[in-house]
Amino acid sequence: MTCMAVDLQTRLMGSLAALTLVATAALVAQEPIPQPRTSGGCPVESKAFYDCASAKAKIFTPPRTREGRPDLQGYWRSRNNGIAYDVEPGPGSFAVPPTFGEIIDPPDKKIPYLPAALARRNEIRTKSFEDPQGHCAPSGAPRKNNTLFGWRVIQPKDHVVFLYESMHDYRVIPTDNRPHLPASIKMWHGDPVGRWEGNTLVVDYRNLNGKHWFDMSGNFQSENIHVVERYTLFTPDTILFVATVDDATMYTKPWTLTFSLERNKEPGYYQLEYACHEGERDLQHFTDDTRK
Amino acid sequence: MAAAFVATVTAQPAPRYRPPRLANGTPDLQGIWQVRNTANWNLQAHGGSWKTPAGYGVVVDPADGSIPYRPDARAAKEKNWTSRETLDPLEKCYLAGVPRTMYLPFPLQILQTETEVAILSEYVHTWRWIPLTPLDRIPGYESWMGDPRGRWDGDTLVIETVGHNDQTWFDHAGNFHSDALKVTERLTRIADDVLTYEATMEDPKTFTRPWTIRMPLYRHRDMDRILENECYLYAEEAGTPIRGEHPK
Repeated sequence: MTCMAVDLQTRLMGSLAALTLVATAALVAQEPIPQPRTSGGCPVESKAFYDCASAKAKIFTPPRTREGRPDLQGYWRSRNNGIAYDVEPGPGSFAVPPTFGEIIDPPDKKIPYLPAALARRNEIRTKSFEDPQGHCAPSGAPRKNNTLFGWRVIQPKDHVVFLYESMHDYRVIPTDNRPHLPASIKMWHGDPVGRWEGNTLVVDYRNLNGKHWFDMSGNFQSENIHVVERYTLFTPDTILFVATVDDATMYTKPWTLTFSLERNKEPGYYQLEYACHEGERDLQHFTDDTRK
Repeated sequence: MAAAFVATVTAQPAPRYRPPRLANGTPDLQGIWQVRNTANWNLQAHGGSWKTPAGYGVVVDPADGSIPYRPDARAAKEKNWTSRETLDPLEKCYLAGVPRTMYLPFPLQILQTETEVAILSEYVHTWRWIPLTPLDRIPGYESWMGDPRGRWDGDTLVIETVGHNDQTWFDHAGNFHSDALKVTERLTRIADDVLTYEATMEDPKTFTRPWTIRMPLYRHRDMDRILENECYLYAEEAGTPIRGEHPK
């Protein structure tokens, strides 16, 4: 009861600062971090997970919607490694758990930055107060799935819709492969356009404003970013999530990350509101530090 | 049975609009919609003023178009009116609350399945998720956008929302409520491009009786997706970041 009340209160406060504090306290209190060993019967280390989940997806027949599409509806949450502190492998540091990274291509699990971009990443990675997520910015793609919090998927006709608990963000993905918005429209959300390839939902992202980070470690992007996300059920309750990022002005070649999405089947569960900007008292701290 | 059908038809001489339907027969309200009125600035009839367009009122009950405040609440509303340029939660880019999110000067998108409805606003990426199947509420839950439950009453989608905080306003004019607010909304598609939107407010701490607003929502025929309005991020980019205040 107390635990639930605390959880409820944390979520209602909805302040990222408060969230970080609670998360930090939990991490400090529970070292070493208990790492999940498997997801959907697959190991969670990114490359091993990808190989295992891909093999399972090939022989898995997903449930279907009335329209005959794979039915992804319900509540989901990420089973990622290190909860998006760093998409690259890292040894861990204060309040940051060690992670074996989410990248599967290139094989060294490093983002293939161009030299100037790498220098910039190394410069900003210590300035976590510059992380747009700390300013309640919608997290774009693929980071929005790299969250402690879950989301609901619904599938109205010719659409897949994600309603995220974190920052009451959403994605409306039309699945008719329609043309993207004019390139002059740049958005934190970007413009997701979807299509079905066999049992896989493929979401093509353009029109991102390029201001976002991929994680809390300063890995960043430009407005030329192009992201393709793929969602494939490989058991009734797990999705193979794969995202490929391309931007010739930032990286020497496209790179790919992956992690598992797990269904939340808790009876009677529904998402509570995570208001972020409202009541945020730490914004002054963030913004003033940014100017230094 | 046949007699009852005849009687119904006779009672409604005008041909009734038949909305498109989902496979289970419930009306299809999906699309991108927006009001074309000034309810966001003032629910009651008002002349124009600085940054505020003039507008007819949308309060249909009471018949005189006035909001039935209790005396102490009316005084608080007058204070809100005087300081609206700073106190209006939307001046701080806060979530608009219910029902105001439905008549903002921004488009909203309705998406639905047979068991749930999502209403998404372009303004600060806000979603409302409305289950049409039974789901227990969490006691004591309080939020900016409320805790809605929906059902069909004939061809009308009825949404009952409780669990509001006392921080949102109904409009820029300072019309407000307490955390005892219950909002009952009714959405009816009366033409391909028109929804009738109605909301009844009950809040015995603030009002002497329930009251109701009604207005049309028009469908955007030239938009196939909503964009975004990241109000507080734009303020930050403009060099005028908005400091939040913790709700009292």
